[in-house]
Amino acid sequence: MAKELVQDDRYVALTHDLLDVKSIMDRVRSPKAGAIVLFAGTTRDNFGGKPVKELQYTSYEPLALQTMMGISQSIQEKHSLTAIAMIHRLGTVPIGEESILIAVSSPHRQAAWRAGEEALEECKAKVEVWKKEEFGGDEGGVWRANRDGAAGVRIDQSNHEEPAQGPHGPILRPKVLGERGHGPVVHPGNIKKD
Amino acid sequence: MSTAESEAGVNGQKSFTILYWGPATSYTLKEKETLLAHLPISTARLFEMLEEKYAGIKSKVLESCMVTVNFKYVDVSDSASTELVINKGDEVAIIPPVSSG
Repeated sequence: MAKELVQDDRYVALTHDLLDVKSIMDRVRSPKAGAIVLFAGTTRDNFGGKPVKELQYTSYEPLALQTMMGISQSIQEKHSLTAIAMIHRLGTVPIGEESILIAVSSPHRQAAWRAGEEALEECKAKVEVWKKEEFGGDEGGVWRANRDGAAGVRIDQSNHEEPAQGPHGPILRPKVLGERGHGPVVHPGNIKKD
Repeated sequence: MSTAESEAGVNGQKSFTILYWGPATSYTLKEKETLLAHLPISTARLFEMLEEKYAGIKSKVLESCMVTVNFKYVDVSDSASTELVINKGDEVAIIPPVSSG
């Protein structure tokens, strides 16, 4: 059962269930909108080439919902959206399944494209959800951080080959500039406005 | 516990709840606990208490974390960290850099 907040045409939710693309799109569907943009973030099978077995997401739920609603409100106002909806999955998420869905609707497509991207970037920067990558076998898992340069924290303390220490613990690979969970960060501010 | 005792707390100390999220739990090995202190205290004092309990946590975890008290972020910068923000019964949370999405 999803935990959710609804305010006017804004919907935010956290759930342990499979995410359903159609139901999140239907949340923003409107006769006033000529465009719906949907982003689906899916879980990758590797981190920097290292095979990942599954991912586990945990959340400070009341605060995360509050943050998601705050982001929804500011993005809706900024881009005059008809509606916005976002849902994040928690618990174990198998590889290749959706971990986040964001849907936005607006009278015209340009605003929806921009708002969708901006909403995702804001979520990845602020929403109080933490991802642990499970490698399987004896390796344990690694907590990830979206922020540039914030390396993962290893769960397995029995590792004797100590990698270099970063602010959160061992650095398992050099960071790629601007990289976040779903690939390089595109800063919405840098998109050319027409 | 009688009302008088809960008001006075244990040895004059009062309790608050602290939550550890994500990477912070791999240091504390728990997600939640109740701590006793002569409340109110500052976040600087909180960090000292946690360092006494979990040696090394300050430099490895806390310095890159944010802190909420009753679901509101508090300023943990050096200039503001001596404000007395944690009171009896509060829910404090250690918020590491997020990895949502």
